[in-house]
Formats: sequence, C-alpha cells, structure tokens
Amino acid sequence: MDRRKFLGVGIATFAAIVAPGTNLRAMDFRAEKPKAWEAEKSVDAIKELYGSAGLKKSNKIKLTAPKLAENGGSIPINIKSKLDLESVAIFQDANPRSLTAVFTVPEGGIIDYDFRIKMRQTALVTIVGKGRDGTLYTTGKEIDVSIGGCGG
Amino acid sequence: MAKMKIKAKEKKGVVKVKAMFTSLMADKEEAEKKKIKVDYIRQIVAKINGKVVYEVTTSGFMAENPLIKFKTKGGKKGDKIEFTTTDNNGKTATSKKKIK
Repeated sequence: MDRRKFLGVGIATFAAIVAPGTNLRAMDFRAEKPKAWEAEKSVDAIKELYGSAGLKKSNKIKLTAPKLAENGGSIPINIKSKLDLESVAIFQDANPRSLTAVFTVPEGGIIDYDFRIKMRQTALVTIVGKGRDGTLYTTGKEIDVSIGGCGG
Repeated sequence: MAKMKIKAKEKKGVVKVKAMFTSLMADKEEAEKKKIKVDYIRQIVAKINGKVVYEVTTSGFMAENPLIKFKTKGGKKGDKIEFTTTDNNGKTATSKKKIK
C-alpha cells in the first residue's frame, strides 16, 4: 500500500473511532447527572445539572407556549435562540420531578425545538441554556393548566 | 417496540425534520395510577451521515407519543436521517428515512 494512502486510511479510522466516542460522552445526561433527574424543585435541579453559577436572565432565548393550556397532558413548547449554546434544559415545578428534557446542541446547530410536555398543575416553566463559554442564560413563563396531565 | 414516523425536507440548505414516536411516556407516579409498567423514552438521537444533528435526554414528563420538530443545516436532499431512541430499560430502536 502507498504510504500516503495508508496514512489517509489510518486517520479516517481514527476519526471514526473517536467521533462516536465523544458523541456518546456528551449525550447521556441521565447517566452523568442522576441527581438532577430526582430533584423536586427547579432551583435544585438547575443546581445539580449546571452547578451553582449565577443565572443570567436573557430575552435571547425565546420560549413560546400557550398562556392557558386546556389539556395538561400535552402542552406544546417551542424554544428558539440565536445564542451559541451547548445545551438547553427545560424545568417545571408542576410534576414530582422537575427536570423534563435536556437538549444537547451540536456545533453550529440551529436552536429551534418543538416538543410537548405534561404538567399536573399551573406552574412556572424555566428554560436554562448553557453557552459554550459557560454562561448560563435563563428565561421562564408561567403556564396555566386547567386539566392536569400526568394521569391526574 | 417504539414505532417512529419521520418526515424530513430540505429547503435552501436547511433541513426541517418532524418525528413522532409511539411511547406511553409513563413515569413512576403515572404508571402506578394507571397500573401499567413504567415506560418512557429516555433519549432520542438523530444522525445525518453519521453526524449527530439532534439529541435530547427526555423524561416521563414529555407528553405521550412525543412529537418533535427541529431544523438543522447538516444535510441535503437524498441523505438519510437516522433516529435512535433508548427507553428506560435500555432497549434501543432505530429507523431511517431519506431527506426529501
């Protein structure tokens, strides 16, 4: 085999081995921060997940949600942001455990996520985004729930 | 186990993806009330050409049959998008779809 070619193959396989590894490591928040998933209050869950660094209120993360949700079993949520974030987490105070979902944003990814959550009662929904420089941005909104989800 | 419906469309370099997964998303309390087993998806990962474009760690407080939408720049027409879900028992399911 040509020496040049051989090197090329070597680098390609190396990249193939390393890339999934780093992806895996970044992925599983449940394995990495098991305590955050057990916390009852948003404040505690945020501390467990991101540490006790100060949160910065920001209007650069946009949270779109209905003010009044008729069905607490399925509340549409949209998160949009142009900030360069590393991960975005959503917390709420309505359910027995606060942390609902954590998004890992790939490099250069567009932050525009739509999904639905369950809420048992009227409560505050908090979004926390962690920038690649470590800054924590937060925004929140209270959602009124008339019929609780979660089997309640 | 978990079935998936995927739709992906490319327009001007941005791929819009919609995906729906069948899962009860029942956490401990809900499972107790309904007398069913705890069953929820704990992780959803989407890849285009082997590169992760979307990943989320979820809990039982996502709504039943989670429907997600997102945009990404990491793909073009004809590429395949691959979704992998992991449920609370560690079972995984994979599904592929071509980007239109």
